[in-house]
Amino acid sequence: MKPRKWLAIFRLGLAEAIAYRTALFVWILASCFPLVALALWAGMAAKSPVGDYTQADFVGYFVTAFLVRQLTSSWVVWDLDRQIRTGELSTLMLRPVHPLVHHLVANIAALPVRLLLALPLGLAVLLFVGAGTLDTSLVTLTMIVPALVGGWLIVFISQVIIGCLAFWVTSATGIYDFWLGFFVVLSGYVVPISLMPEGVVAVVDLLPFHASFGFIVELATGKLATGEAWRGLGVQWVWVGLHALMARLCWRRGLRVYGAVGA
Amino acid sequence: MSGPAVVVEGLTKRFRVPRREAGLKAAFAALFRRDYTEVTAIRELSFAIEAGERVGFLGPNGAGKTTTLKILAGLLYPTAGTVRVSGYVPQTRHHGFLRSISLVMGQKRQLSWDLPAVDTFELNRVVFEIDTPTYKRRLGELVERLEIGEVMRQPVRTLSLGERMKCELAAALLHGPSILFLDEPTIGMDVAMQLSLREFIRTYNENHGATVILTSHYMEDVAALCPRIIVIDDGNLRFDGSIEALTRRIRPLRRVSVRAVDLPPSERLAQLGSVVDTGDGRLTLDVDPGRVPEVVSVLVQLPDCRDLEVSDAPLEEVMRELFSRSRADAGTASQPEGAA
Repeated sequence: MKPRKWLAIFRLGLAEAIAYRTALFVWILASCFPLVALALWAGMAAKSPVGDYTQADFVGYFVTAFLVRQLTSSWVVWDLDRQIRTGELSTLMLRPVHPLVHHLVANIAALPVRLLLALPLGLAVLLFVGAGTLDTSLVTLTMIVPALVGGWLIVFISQVIIGCLAFWVTSATGIYDFWLGFFVVLSGYVVPISLMPEGVVAVVDLLPFHASFGFIVELATGKLATGEAWRGLGVQWVWVGLHALMARLCWRRGLRVYGAVGA
Repeated sequence: MSGPAVVVEGLTKRFRVPRREAGLKAAFAALFRRDYTEVTAIRELSFAIEAGERVGFLGPNGAGKTTTLKILAGLLYPTAGTVRVSGYVPQTRHHGFLRSISLVMGQKRQLSWDLPAVDTFELNRVVFEIDTPTYKRRLGELVERLEIGEVMRQPVRTLSLGERMKCELAAALLHGPSILFLDEPTIGMDVAMQLSLREFIRTYNENHGATVILTSHYMEDVAALCPRIIVIDDGNLRFDGSIEALTRRIRPLRRVSVRAVDLPPSERLAQLGSVVDTGDGRLTLDVDPGRVPEVVSVLVQLPDCRDLEVSDAPLEEVMRELFSRSRADAGTASQPEGAA
């Protein structure tokens, strides 16, 4: 697709994000859970470290977790679910741009606005509780961008897969809530996974939930050795590929049963 | 474009629809075992539409009109049969195909709800790859003809139904489609707005040679716009031809009406034709076409005779009769009427 088309959809997505800025801000506040977790874990680590996390580590981890969540968020599952159920998807299908590409660009367009609204909150927390340990080594700086892109793609594409289920079931968002339960527990969203039992860590480390979130936070906070970081990035992008294949299958099969209901 | 704009052969579409009985028990049962029923929306439909034609799809609710339109626009996959639009298979949604068509649905919107319509216009300019001079010229024409200069800069949610529909139409026409699918474009509009939209569609067809395929519940829309109609009922093609041909076939009698102070007695009226109405000082008769001059000459003799009119039966009545005949024929294999 020509860059001009990307840019046009990006501009429209940005305009919508600005139009919905209050709703977006409320959503950001609603995704402040890592900051709540920060208060809990930092309190527990006040006297002595919990596992390999000191109080400062927890501050760094959860403030980073808050910002990573903002940067890897997507809402395409709600849009797809509604558009498929109501037939609104037809509008996108009539434009010479793939509907999923439209969603991809429109979702990316909201990220700068999200970051603009979330950064002051993150910085305020950092100033209030004291700066955490953000890693600025060359390896981290090299990998953080592909890791963020990979993490966002896993979130986006997994939402596309679940959203596509609306071609067959009444409400895909209910299934997404179920998926979100696993994400909250297994991604490192409420607890760094290294604090889980050893056997569990080995499994969780390989799942897409951690690859899309906890891995990035651990990378940004310098918790990973160079070898672990490369391995994590490899696992992450394998999940990106697998998700993409699954999404392609769901989309193609789904279109065959699309009812384009309504008018 | 050479050849017909639209070719449909043996088109069939079946939907698998979940069903359950009313009540909580049935709702719980459906959680574990869903029953489905197969609904046939279209049955072996075949027709062709030449470039530049204006064709109306008519039929009762659930007849399969909109389903046909959605298949032609590439939104639905046919269960059987073949479809070619502008030479493309619509379901591949080739960019060349998407640039050659437009689908306007009266009950759906393509404009972003909270942004001004002009933002969607701009998006369409880029995604449909319209060069800037062409875009400016077309937008200028559309703004002038549809009178949307002011409203296109307001958030769409603040517009009235008519204003929104005009903006929808502008968004749908900016890329200069050669085939225009209109599904209930005037639904919910007042009469003045309906007339203005009708006029606009006719002018667009005449100026651009675009093929127009229209469905509408308002028979006036179809009668005023479409020299050719395709009637679908229960997924079957019932008629394909001109309104005149349908009227001649279904209701060959001409309708003669007149206002007069003193109407002849009913026995005399029955000799002239079939009496439709005699209320409110107005006499309406259905008359054999060959006897129209004779009947008219009698009626003009009536005292204070005025407002004499000779017309075909209204399309609504013709359609009603066609559908009731279709129902009566149900169960027997019926061939489509007309001469497509």
